[in-house]
Amino acid sequence: MMGEEKLRREPEPEVELAEADVLAAMQELPGYLDITPYDFQEIYRWAYRHAKSRLAREGKAADIMTREVVAVQEQTPLDEVAAAMGERGISGVPVLDDQGRVSGVISEKDFLRQMGVPGRQNFMALVATCLRTKGCLALPIKSKVAKDIMATPPIVITPETPLQEIAALCESRGINRLPVVDQEGKLIGLVSRGDLVRVMSPGGKTC
Amino acid sequence: MLKGYWGKMRGVTKSPPRVGLQEVFWSWLGGFLGISAVAGGHFAFFEGTAFMLLIASFGASAVLIYGAPKSPLAQPRNLIGGHVISALIGVTMLKLCGPLIWLAAALAVSLSIAAMHATKTLHPPGGATALIAIIGGPKIQQLGYLYVLLPVASGILIMLLIALLINNLIPTRRYPEFWL
Repeated sequence: MMGEEKLRREPEPEVELAEADVLAAMQELPGYLDITPYDFQEIYRWAYRHAKSRLAREGKAADIMTREVVAVQEQTPLDEVAAAMGERGISGVPVLDDQGRVSGVISEKDFLRQMGVPGRQNFMALVATCLRTKGCLALPIKSKVAKDIMATPPIVITPETPLQEIAALCESRGINRLPVVDQEGKLIGLVSRGDLVRVMSPGGKTC
Repeated sequence: MLKGYWGKMRGVTKSPPRVGLQEVFWSWLGGFLGISAVAGGHFAFFEGTAFMLLIASFGASAVLIYGAPKSPLAQPRNLIGGHVISALIGVTMLKLCGPLIWLAAALAVSLSIAAMHATKTLHPPGGATALIAIIGGPKIQQLGYLYVLLPVASGILIMLLIALLINNLIPTRRYPEFWL
């Protein structure tokens, strides 16, 4: 009883390891392990916290970027662009030239601006439908392609860009998604505001 | 393939961090009180008799139950099971291959390790307990299977009692992690 009170309180990681998980893992390793599942869980909780703050402190884009990115081509018709964004519920996509290099970025704002829509509505799926029918707001851009409305040159980062710098970019430019490119400018990943929040928030909860 | 073999001898990680000074002190205190109890009992009740309460392998158990009480090796199941099973095997090997001391010793220790693994009671000092049954001198040899109860089981229960009392008094410790 006396001991319980003063034992250190544990932080809570996003992914809790159940005792059964640890036991199962221990059974997969061939030798005898001189540690109890409880101790392993405790070490995991603390190590997770340390890993997170290290990432936030010295992490780079490569550590947190999504590698499977939805992108469109310069010549992709806007209805397809909007449909792609709407289906996945994302607010922006990189636009690639025929070499696979990021030549621009299209966000909801680019659509809305072209359509003369004020405010900040996010109804990409609706826009997609709209583009396919006559007599709607999207009419002026109905026959256009990605290249016509994309923001260019795009703001991009490299795998080596520090997370601190990415956060500053998002903040100062008011953007939510940054394409990650290699030395030739080819798309290799994407860092979203959500990715940043996940590693940088001390509590470990996603917004 | 040979390169991989030698490569394995390099090790893969660092030694874990040193414990704090407080921890050093608590380990010392536990070890002192635990061995005091069995050694004191030995000299108070069994000196000059054919019996004994203290054997060398208790020193090794003290390292675990007072110095590393979170280790699975230090839990009551392992402490009691490891010593008792190994003591049984030790005495049996002495009886089976008496004159061939080297064989009795090798079989006692190796079979103890295997039996402790099989029963989830691995406790390194058990290996010493098995060995002591064979090379512990004529006095121990004459005990026969009594060796399992006295000194082994009796002494280890006293050590366990001290471990329960001391480790749980210490704010940063608790003992055991599990019983069975």
